[in-house]
Amino acid sequence: MKQRFLFPYWSRYLGYACILFHIPLMAMKHLGTGRQLPPDGGIHETNGDHLLFAVAFLLMVIGLILVAFSKEKIEDEQISRLRLDSLQWAIYLNYAILIVSLIATENMGNHFMLAIDTWVPLLFFIVRFRWMIFRLNLSMKSDQPS
Amino acid sequence: MKNTIRVQRAIKELTQADLAARVKVSRQTINTIESNKYVPSTVLALKIARIFGIPVEELFILEEGD
Repeated sequence: MKQRFLFPYWSRYLGYACILFHIPLMAMKHLGTGRQLPPDGGIHETNGDHLLFAVAFLLMVIGLILVAFSKEKIEDEQISRLRLDSLQWAIYLNYAILIVSLIATENMGNHFMLAIDTWVPLLFFIVRFRWMIFRLNLSMKSDQPS
Repeated sequence: MKNTIRVQRAIKELTQADLAARVKVSRQTINTIESNKYVPSTVLALKIARIFGIPVEELFILEEGD
């Protein structure tokens, strides 16, 4: 089965590396300057701070994208189905959180919306997709004749 | 929809892994098809039927309510 728009299998590990590298950069950003990100997402910070934030942010996003959309060892139609289902649930959750936040909070900041839109779909997709594959493997083991 | 893949595998003395390798899917996919947890695409159903040398209707049988 031809799979387009997916990264090669090994790029998942590159993604994990990007996520790991992002952690010390974010820690440096928070500890080094001794303050939290401003509510506007750091756009008006000094150049050095912003650069550090931008690099850490990009590393995390690129890492998550590589982890989420790299091929499995055997990428077949069932995996494609699980991928599509997980993506659908991630989008549902993303908009559910946005709608609930919009109704429940009076003044939803841009930074909050950016954070929700950036992290929720990718993180939920990865967790749900890996969980479904784990369950698939588990059910196969339990079906094996002893 | 039920299927006779397990029986056909036994006749041909093929393991799930053998069949999976021949139709280029994972062993998990063959396992879930056999246990009626996953309905394969037409292409995959035809590929599996070709391996066993039988028509696809003999391999996949519609049930009441399908």
